[in-house]
Formats: sequence, C-alpha cells, structure tokens
Amino acid sequence: MDIGSSPEEMRFREECREWLHANVPAEKRPLDAADAIDFDKAWQRRLFDAGWAGINWPTDYGGRGLSIVQQVIWLEEYAKAHAPWIGANFVGINHGGPTLILNASEEQKAYHLPRILKGEAIWCQGFSEPGAGSDLAGIKTRGRIEGDELVVNGSKIWTSFAHVADWQELVLRTEEGSLRHKGLSWVICDIHAPGITVRPIRKMSGLTEFAEVFYDDVRIPLANVVGGLGNGWKVAMSTLSFERGTGFIADQVKQSQEIEELIAKARANGMIKDDRIADQLAQMRAEVAAVRAMTYRNISEVVRTGQPGPEASVIRLFTSELGQRLERMAVLLMGEDIIDFAYGSDDAVGDYLRGFAATIAGGTAQIQRDIIGERLLGLPKSR
Amino acid sequence: MDLTPNDEQIALQTATADWCSDHMPLVGARSRSAGLWQQLDTMGWTGMTAPEMGLDHATETLLFAELGRFLAPVALLSTAVAARWTGAAGKAALALPAQEHVRILDGVEASRALGAFGDGLACFPLAGQLSSTSSLDQSTPLARIVCPAEIEPVDDPRALLHLQLLTAAYAVGCADAARDMAADYAKLRQQFDRPIGWFQALKHLCSDMAVRAAVARSQLYYAACALDADDIDAAFHIAAAKRLADQAALDNGRANIQVHGGIGMTDEAHPHLCLKRAHLLQFIVPAETAALLAA
Repeated sequence: MDIGSSPEEMRFREECREWLHANVPAEKRPLDAADAIDFDKAWQRRLFDAGWAGINWPTDYGGRGLSIVQQVIWLEEYAKAHAPWIGANFVGINHGGPTLILNASEEQKAYHLPRILKGEAIWCQGFSEPGAGSDLAGIKTRGRIEGDELVVNGSKIWTSFAHVADWQELVLRTEEGSLRHKGLSWVICDIHAPGITVRPIRKMSGLTEFAEVFYDDVRIPLANVVGGLGNGWKVAMSTLSFERGTGFIADQVKQSQEIEELIAKARANGMIKDDRIADQLAQMRAEVAAVRAMTYRNISEVVRTGQPGPEASVIRLFTSELGQRLERMAVLLMGEDIIDFAYGSDDAVGDYLRGFAATIAGGTAQIQRDIIGERLLGLPKSR
Repeated sequence: MDLTPNDEQIALQTATADWCSDHMPLVGARSRSAGLWQQLDTMGWTGMTAPEMGLDHATETLLFAELGRFLAPVALLSTAVAARWTGAAGKAALALPAQEHVRILDGVEASRALGAFGDGLACFPLAGQLSSTSSLDQSTPLARIVCPAEIEPVDDPRALLHLQLLTAAYAVGCADAARDMAADYAKLRQQFDRPIGWFQALKHLCSDMAVRAAVARSQLYYAACALDADDIDAAFHIAAAKRLADQAALDNGRANIQVHGGIGMTDEAHPHLCLKRAHLLQFIVPAETAALLAA
C-alpha cells in the first residue's frame, strides 16, 4: 500500500491542470437543463477537441486509451479547477458509452461512441417506470417483435435530460409473459421517433432536469438491441456498475471543497464556537477524507483485478448521505436567510433541495443497504 | 497509488488471523489465560514493530486490525510503540493519565508504562507488582497509581501518532468483529419462520455496520500510508482514522447487541465484549475536534 504518484502521473496531472486553468469557461453553466443544453454541448466539444473526453476510452472510437488512474487524476483536477458539470452529457459519458464499449456490436460502437464524446449526441436513461422505481426487474414497458422491428408501448419516468436528449438507453420487456429480470432487452432508442411523448417534470428546486416518457407503438429496429435479445438485465447491471463505481470521483473532490468552505464560513460567522457545530464539522472533515481513501482503494482494486470491488455500493451509499449532511450544514450556517430562496436559484438552498435526489436516484439508499447486506455480508435476499 | 494490500501483506494478515483464532479466541476475552503474554512474546507479536523488523505502518495496521478483531491485550499497543521509539524490549503497560492519578491498563508483569501525557508520549518505570482489578473491558486488568514524579518523554512526535494509528487499527478490528458477529447471528437465528437477516430492519442495521467498518478501514490504510510517506497531512489523516474507527467500534458494538435481541444484553453472550472494548479504546489518544479542524 502506498499513496505516492509516479513521475508520469505527476506530469499528466500538471498537463490537466494547465489546460483547465486556461480553458475553464468564465461564465456559469445555466442550471435548468433546457437552458444549459447549448452550453453543455459546446463544453463537451471543447473537451473532445483538446483530447480530454474519454481519457480511458479506446482510441478506435475517439478516446485516449489511457489508464483508469489517469482518468481519476483528470477528474480530480477537473473538480479542483471548478470546471462546469458535464450536465446533459452525463448519461452518455458515464453510462451509455461505457455500456456500449462492453456490450455493443462494432457498428453500434462506431456510430455512437464518437458522437457521445464530441457532445453531438445527448443520451438519457430509460430504466425507471412509474410502477417500478428502484425495483428495476418490475419493468412493464414492452417491445413486441414484428419483422425486424420492436414495437414499443409503455412509459418511463425520472428520466434525466429526456427533454433535451437524442438517444435513450431503454430497458424493456421483449418476451411476453416473462417475469422479473428475465426476458428484458437493452435497446438504443431514438427519442425523436414517432409515437414518443416527453413530459418534463419540475423538481422542488424549481428546475426541470427530468421527464416522463410515453411510448405509443414506437418502432425501433432490432439492430438497436445491445448485447442480444433477452440479455437486458445483464447489460443494465454493467451500466449500473459504472454508476456505482468510479462515476462519483468528481463528487468526492467537490465534497472536499465543500467541507473546507463550510469550516471557513463557520469561522467567519463565529458559529464554530458552538461545540456541536464544531464537532459536526470535524466529523464531516474526517468522513470526506475517508471517501477519498475509499475511492482510492476502489481504483486500486480496479487496477489490480480489472473490476471494482464489492464495496462500490458502500461508497455510493456513504457518499450520497455525506453529501446531504454537508448540504444540511450549509443551510444551518445560513440561518434564516434560507427563507429568501427563489425557485431555481444557485445557492446553498438550491444545492440542499437538489441534493435530495442523491439518496433516491440510481437505486435508493434503502436498496443500496439491501445490496450491501446481501452481497457483502451474505444475508438472505429479501426480494 | 495503491491502497490494496499486496500478496505478502495478505499472507501476513491471514497468518495473524489464524494464530489469533487458535490461541486467543474472542470468546475467551473475559478471562485470558495467564500464559497468553508469554505466548504472544514467543511468537514475536510483541516485538514486530521494532526498527530492525523493518515493517512499514501500512502492514502494521493490517496486523493490528486482526489482533484487535480478537480483542488482543491492549498492552500490545504500548509495547509496540515502545519497541519502535524507545528501543526497549519487554512488556510496557498502557498509561492513561487522569487528574490526580494514572490508570495503568494491562500492567500485569509489566516493568514500565507508556502513554500520552500532554501533547506528547512518555514512559516511566513501574515499581513492583501492581494490584490490578478488573475494568469495564474484562480483558484488561486495571490499576491506579499516583502520578509518577519522573516521566521520560519520547522525543519524536511520530511516536504519539504511531500509538494513535495502532489504536485506530484495534478499533477497526473491534468494529469488524461486531459486524461479523451480528451478520452470522442474523443468518442463523430464525423468527417468524425466517432468518432475521431477511428482514430489512435487521438487514439495514447490519449494512450500516458494514459501511462504518469499511469507511474506517479505508481511512486507516490511507493514514498509515501518509505516515509512511511523511506526508504533511499525516497527523490529520491519523486523527480522522481514529475518530472514524472509534465511532465504528462503538456504534457497531451497540448495533450488535440490538441484532442479538434478548441474548445480546446478557453476560453469557459475547456482543458486550466488543462494546466494552470500544469504550476503552476511545480514551486512548482520542481524536479531538480541534485536531480535526486544525488547518
């Protein structure tokens, strides 16, 4: 075990830092997805042109083919430089792309991967359903096979960026009468296809970042199935393992900035003299350090064995709850200024309200606890 | 950067766990055999941190977490630190200074004691045999002495960090032991015709134990590596490790009793052994709020 960096890694870090210093946009990213879409696309294109998109993606599809450690270094420096969130490109870069790299056909990869990296194609997820949520195997949206097409009917919900997306990673039931995780398929869906209606949903923060999607006899070519008909569960699980693993490195750096800002603020307004507040800040500073240690341990595991350890769910759960504790503290330090919140504003209250998503999206904190109990401790399955 | 143990470290860790389960099972913690220290000494556990052994702190934390998992004698901590920083061999009891006296933990057959006095580590000889009684932690004999007139400070500030780090490792082991005891019981014990671990209320208690232990262990590894690397933030990382490990040991200790239900609060069952040890460890070089908030 050691925490040192090789000279090559240190050079790479310096390279990242220099480019970010010169290129991070001065203007802020608009908060609402519809307002931010042009900004998100332009920023992604700039990252791609300079070689910073897909650092550990294969070079055949526009990536750099570098190591996961270099990807981590980039994400750390990215967050430290206060570079904008990749926003609408999140699903394509963090879920869709990595899933295609692992499971897609040569044609699918050659068409979609470069477009994702260049910010030309915005992707959204199509997993959750009104009746299912975190119960991914409860999917009811169905695709009936007709000739060389799937005819899709049903609906999806909580679909981030659906109203600004071009493509969707859609999981549906392609085998009539199949149960739970059997008979599902993972399909690339053109979100502009006839028969699709997208209804944006407003969040309690005032932003519209996600939407409900309805499918009425939508026709999708069978050639868009990824990983084979009926293998949707397996493909979807590989998508989620990215989300629960290294997808949260930037969050970790963001949290370490947040705790330092909170301590500075509590010193400035004197609230640090309250022992309970000082104690909570000390605790969170220790916890933020531990998140970094856990992330490094997880990355070390990937480098050593080729896959993230079973503790990825631990990181996911702990990070999401710690983030919310930080957001609550920020609001506590504001005092009654919380009352002045205006819909859609970019301040501590906005972060606090948006932060409720962290323990719900991508499997609720309760689902993560089930996973940890069953996979890490070997307790019997509740479901 | 690599925070996973290498093959050699894993082999040492496994060997330690095997030896502990054969010679020092946790279930015997309330009455350790008189010859245990002698056995530990013969096997080399007491001298493994001596400079000539060349063990790095990362490897030490792995081994001390295993020893801690079996509620090994706390004098192993003070003896290990003394071996590294004072060059002296032999058993060193652990001293906990209070207002007007000093508590001597695990002082049977010890010729000296070592503990944190003020903001540094110090050693002093113990005169004659102490009359020890039992403490909250039944595996740890306790004696009280008046403050010694002459204490010998250990010059190097890393010595205090070393004691804090090893104690954190003990606490991580203690948190692990409680987690495993709870999970094993939740798989075995049936209620309403199912193992109790099936019920989410119990499953989630156990999952939270796993999270606390994993968080504390990762920070422990990072802290050990920071000390090995002479990192400028090593003191903070060790304090953070101690804080998280103490908390994991205490919270897991409590949760373990809850998972066990009625039997969990009896003296006959073992969960209370982990809880009591956790309470003791939190007073050994505690991670103060000020240390964690220092810039």
